Amino acid sequence: MKKLMSIVSCLLLMCFVVTAFAACASEKPDSLVIYNWADYIFDEKLTDFKEYYKEITGKDIDVTYVTFDTNETMLTRLTQGDSNVDVVCPSEYAIQKLIEGNMLVPLNYFDEAKYTSEFSESVKNGYEHNSDNIEPGIIEKVSGAFGSLHIDETGETVSMVDYFVPYMYGTLGILYNKYAFMDLGIYDAEIMNKANWGIFFNDDGDGNMLSPGLTGNILMKDSIRDSYAATIFYMLERGMLDGRKNEHGVLYTDLSAGELINAVDDQLLDIVRRVLVNQKDELFGYEVDFGKDDLLMGNAIVDLAWSGDAMFAVEESWDKNIVNDDGTKGDYRLAYYVPHSAGNIWFDGWVVPKTYNPKHMEAIKIFINYLNRPKSAALNYLEIGYTPAIRPEVLQEDDDAMQILMEGYEYDFDSAEDREAFVEEFFNYVDEIDGSNWRYPFLSAELNDDNYRNIDTLGVMRDFGDKNKMVVTAWNYARSAGVSALPLLGWTVLAVAVALGVLFAVIGFRRWKSHRVITHTSSETQVE
Amino acid sequence: MKKKISFRFHRRAFAYPYMIFLLLFVVVPLVIILVNAFLTDDGQHLTFAHFVEFFSNAGGGLTVLGNSLIIGAVTTLICLVIGYPCAYLLAKYHAGSKVLVLLFILPMWVNFLIRTLSTKAIFMALDVKLGMGTVLFGMVYNYLPYMILPLHTTLVSIDHSYIEAAEDLGADKLTVFLKTVLPLSLSGIISGITMTFIPAISTFAISEILSSSKIFLFGDAINMHFSKTTNSFGVGSVMSLVMLVLVIVANVIVNITNKDEEVKSSL
Repeated sequence: MKKLMSIVSCLLLMCFVVTAFAACASEKPDSLVIYNWADYIFDEKLTDFKEYYKEITGKDIDVTYVTFDTNETMLTRLTQGDSNVDVVCPSEYAIQKLIEGNMLVPLNYFDEAKYTSEFSESVKNGYEHNSDNIEPGIIEKVSGAFGSLHIDETGETVSMVDYFVPYMYGTLGILYNKYAFMDLGIYDAEIMNKANWGIFFNDDGDGNMLSPGLTGNILMKDSIRDSYAATIFYMLERGMLDGRKNEHGVLYTDLSAGELINAVDDQLLDIVRRVLVNQKDELFGYEVDFGKDDLLMGNAIVDLAWSGDAMFAVEESWDKNIVNDDGTKGDYRLAYYVPHSAGNIWFDGWVVPKTYNPKHMEAIKIFINYLNRPKSAALNYLEIGYTPAIRPEVLQEDDDAMQILMEGYEYDFDSAEDREAFVEEFFNYVDEIDGSNWRYPFLSAELNDDNYRNIDTLGVMRDFGDKNKMVVTAWNYARSAGVSALPLLGWTVLAVAVALGVLFAVIGFRRWKSHRVITHTSSETQVE
Repeated sequence: MKKKISFRFHRRAFAYPYMIFLLLFVVVPLVIILVNAFLTDDGQHLTFAHFVEFFSNAGGGLTVLGNSLIIGAVTTLICLVIGYPCAYLLAKYHAGSKVLVLLFILPMWVNFLIRTLSTKAIFMALDVKLGMGTVLFGMVYNYLPYMILPLHTTLVSIDHSYIEAAEDLGADKLTVFLKTVLPLSLSGIISGITMTFIPAISTFAISEILSSSKIFLFGDAINMHFSKTTNSFGVGSVMSLVMLVLVIVANVIVNITNKDEEVKSSL
């Protein structure tokens, strides 16, 4: 009887499994695994993309969306090879590392015929290739910095442009409390443009203190690469590199911003270490996750920030109680700018790791191209805050994108007046301090070529490569040194000594007293 | 001929799940750390470079270790100075102390990150400069219950007749305390010290939040090697080993001093 039962149950189980598989096989939708930064797309459920995919291919798609929080986490996961993601969005230096490690599949996005060659005919009809939408400045910058990457395994030399599709870009700059700067009397284009990166070191550009009020109110980033770049720029400005030559005999001052931040050597690291240790007295701290909050709450005044994070902080800092000079009410308390002596510009882009599922290639390509539509870019901008890699003109010409952006900023899309005002405010915005447009650095480079920033002053930072270890050690040293617990130890020892002294004194006194009482009584008895 | 297969459970079989758990999540990670400490960063060759880097203080590792030990020791001392009278009074007025003890444990019911962030908010509101003092405050605040609880347990279990005997023999209050209560509560003091000191030297979130990462402790340094940089697991592993050695040393000391006592350390 028992045997019969088990046979029956086995059969039943098999039935279930078989039907489940059959169901899968008959209407199995396409699938795609996306590995992206956390909070880095307008719609993590990707319902909009699913609709778009259905529109183009007529098929449903299952999307698995996984996130990471640092390039390092992502790299560890990809290099360990146990991931099966189809498309990833790392930063430029991480892409470099992946390419050099022979871990990526070329996409050839800028060659439409190659990119779409494997598409099925039905897809080709509805497909619109968007590579022309991409800001050419990015391609230029990337080709300049990563134009000839060497893959050790195969001995090939390749260009990053063939491997990645730009997604977002931004700058590294100074997020500061405008009103606190006014109170300190340093909110002035001349002062700030002289201090430049020195603001993080409370240095007015000549080696004097910028303002005593800045001491203890400066936030650095708890990130090696960003803090390293800011420190190098400061060293350059302050003339610490004057007359020094690198191992190839070239003066550091002759290098462009891009070359300089990538020229890591012992000599530079030595100065960086010293500068960072000295900086500690001026710092509020190193921000990890709470930098924006610290600035908004007024705990600190200046923060080293990325443009997108800065934009959110600035927008959140709207204070409707501030009365402006012209009598209107309301202003942003925070502001952001990139010192125009030198700066860092970075890119994130989509790449396909070799561990991808070949069956998903069409979906991968459609997904990447989908993100480069003006509409997706506009939605992404509102959600993420970084600048999408789409030319601003393309956005301006696209009504859908404009409507999304304008409504996001509470402008009336139907009013021509509003539209003009919005374009002025959004695309042609020029910062009071550095006279540049930090939302569109490439655009402002053209506008301000003579008097302000030239795009060459914005450097792209490569992977530190085999120098990584040196930089990590230097950074660890800088973080460790400069703070000593020895005074604390001294005070504690002193306190313990005093406490013990008091204790023994009390005990001794009591002993002495009781002893005296005894002798006193005994002498009395003798008299009796 | 049929052989009967018997499934007889020994009582110790119930311990197997936990043994497997220990093996997977304690022993295996330890072995991985040990191996990593001796491997080059690309994992190809054996090397002592990570030890050299740590012990030569190139990355400031020794400075951090020194600072951590000092801060940990001072934290423990302050906890002891505050905690002993607390535990003593709690034990003395035993009748009503259930509620009182609860009051001391109550803060531990709130997640310590939330408590630490709130502490920071309070300091900021009071315009206190974040630094060594605030970190020390946060550490004492967080680890005080770990000092009070073992002390309380030991002090409560002291047989009151010892004290009465001492009083009968003519000792005054201070002498009673110094010659009976204090020696009898030594085991509690030692386990309180280990329970405070060891987490205090390995902490990282408290120093990170309450000094805005300005004060960099041993736990922060290990955290940095593992989570914020690539390819520096080696030095991180060496530091973890150093940490492990410190923990073992602390436990050995406890075991030696507590040889005849009931309170044994966890190791």
